[in-house]
Amino acid sequence: MTNVGFAMPWLLLAALSALIPWLASGQPPLRYSSLTVAPTDRVSTLIDRAVRLSASLGLIALVVAVAGPYRREQTVERLGFGAEIVLLIDRSSSMNESFVGRYLGGAARETKGAVAREILTDFVTRRKDDLFAVVAFSAAPIYVLPLTQDRGAVSAAVRSSTERGHGITNIGSGLAMALDFFEGRRKGGARIILLVSDGAARIEEETRERLHQAFSDTDARLYWIYLRNRTGVHLDAPPENPGESTTPEYFLHQFFQTLGSPYRAYEAENADALRLAVADIEALENDPLPYLEKIPRQDLSTYGYVAALVFLLPLLASRALEVDRWRF
Amino acid sequence: MIAEFHYPIRWRSFRVHPGHHRSSQTGGSDEFYGHAPLMAYPEPRHIDVHATLHDPFGQFMVRVFRQRSSVPVQVVADVSASMGFGERSGKLARIADFCAAAAYSAFRTGDPFGFLACDTALRSDLCLPLRWYKGLPEDFRNSLSTLEPDGNSSVEGLCAAAAQLGRQRSLVFLVSDFHLGADETNRVLDAFVHHDVVPIVVWSDTEYQKLPAFGWINLADPETGRQRRLFMRPSLRERFMENFRNRRDELNRICGRHGRRPFFLDDPFDADALTRYFLTE
Repeated sequence: MTNVGFAMPWLLLAALSALIPWLASGQPPLRYSSLTVAPTDRVSTLIDRAVRLSASLGLIALVVAVAGPYRREQTVERLGFGAEIVLLIDRSSSMNESFVGRYLGGAARETKGAVAREILTDFVTRRKDDLFAVVAFSAAPIYVLPLTQDRGAVSAAVRSSTERGHGITNIGSGLAMALDFFEGRRKGGARIILLVSDGAARIEEETRERLHQAFSDTDARLYWIYLRNRTGVHLDAPPENPGESTTPEYFLHQFFQTLGSPYRAYEAENADALRLAVADIEALENDPLPYLEKIPRQDLSTYGYVAALVFLLPLLASRALEVDRWRF
Repeated sequence: MIAEFHYPIRWRSFRVHPGHHRSSQTGGSDEFYGHAPLMAYPEPRHIDVHATLHDPFGQFMVRVFRQRSSVPVQVVADVSASMGFGERSGKLARIADFCAAAAYSAFRTGDPFGFLACDTALRSDLCLPLRWYKGLPEDFRNSLSTLEPDGNSSVEGLCAAAAQLGRQRSLVFLVSDFHLGADETNRVLDAFVHHDVVPIVVWSDTEYQKLPAFGWINLADPETGRQRRLFMRPSLRERFMENFRNRRDELNRICGRHGRRPFFLDDPFDADALTRYFLTE
């Protein structure tokens, strides 16, 4: 019972009103000549007590319901199967552009962000047993959702993370935060960081070193869904005029390949790349993995109202059967 | 038209006042009583030749007759709170009807009429002294039928009324619902032992026959203030009737021991039934 609380506990004082049915019967008395000639009736007394009891319980239930009972936030240990996947979503303003490079605004459907949303939502709904975490990043990483199996929460997080973006792309700190999710966790299934980005970012030398270390520590895999502009570079083909400032994606790709951990990049202009990614992830072997999930507090007042209704119905029926005047 | 009933009685009145009923007083009538010397009853018209010749002292003897006398007719009405039951033709209205009939009948028979009301004590504001009335005064009848009774118990008041009736034997109509215990009923009737008591029992149909067949009723006893909530159903209504039947038998038994069976006042008041009651007693 300790995990049940009340929004307005002081209202529980009103439960004293449950005494009212025992103080007086609500029926107005009918003047009779004398009770010495009226029979006593056990059945009537029993029914009367039952109705009073029911009224008392109904009042208590009503008061409890009005006081707003809820189940406290709880942490439940769940057993997860499948991979642990961190969705690392680019929220930079370039994600609001279409694939031909025109800025369309956050609400447009053809932006890279919208495409990423579709791809990721599909992905999340296909992978039933995986644990997902969500991190968004632009200039700084945003902690969105810890590792969980709650599909609704993940989908909502994906939707929110792919709304109107802003700022520049700082991929290094985002990767660092994504890797933080695996720090200190027992290794269960495969660890995957699913980077959804349109590139256009470079990583400093210092950060590269840290990422190198973190990837080897956590044994995470990196999958990059590269939302390529039509005019953008291909990752595998060396560009004609390579340079850190003109074709950062190529160099990023090069860096990722040197990480030592399994890495794959998909150039996503359509859903085929996604299918490839899903197939790859499915091929990985996974162990059962216990993890803790937080359940938010739940409103319990409905039960109180239903109980009150059930208990007050006999009272209504009894009220309907009252005779309030003599027929002379 | 005011109903009228006849009330022949079986005992002799001691009253001197001439009237309709048999009396123990001697006087002018046709009921032979005995012989007396002419010197004692100087009435030469009644000289009995046969008795004079038989008299060993040779005195003139006269025939002596009984006189017919009046009888005081008194109504003692219980107006305690239990009599407030009923609305349109409540018990008090029926008592008022009955009193009107009794007063008129007393007037027609030539008897004085008196009325005493009592709840916990005698209600002197509602009493009529023993006089000759030409029926019940109309305003008195109205005030009686619209009375809001609130007395707690009628036993003390009824006993006080018995003391108020006077020494001469009267015909007393004791009007009440008799919702009393057997002991209390005995006590009340004992208080009236000096008089010829006709218990008039006022019950309402609604009290037991016309109770609702189904549903909750919350009965309040106006005298004790207690309440009893009953879930009415046909079997319980039958138990009400059973209670009243038993009470009727008990009243017949107790009152019969005290001289007369009770008369159950119907609604509306049937004067001929009361006449029949007097003729068959």
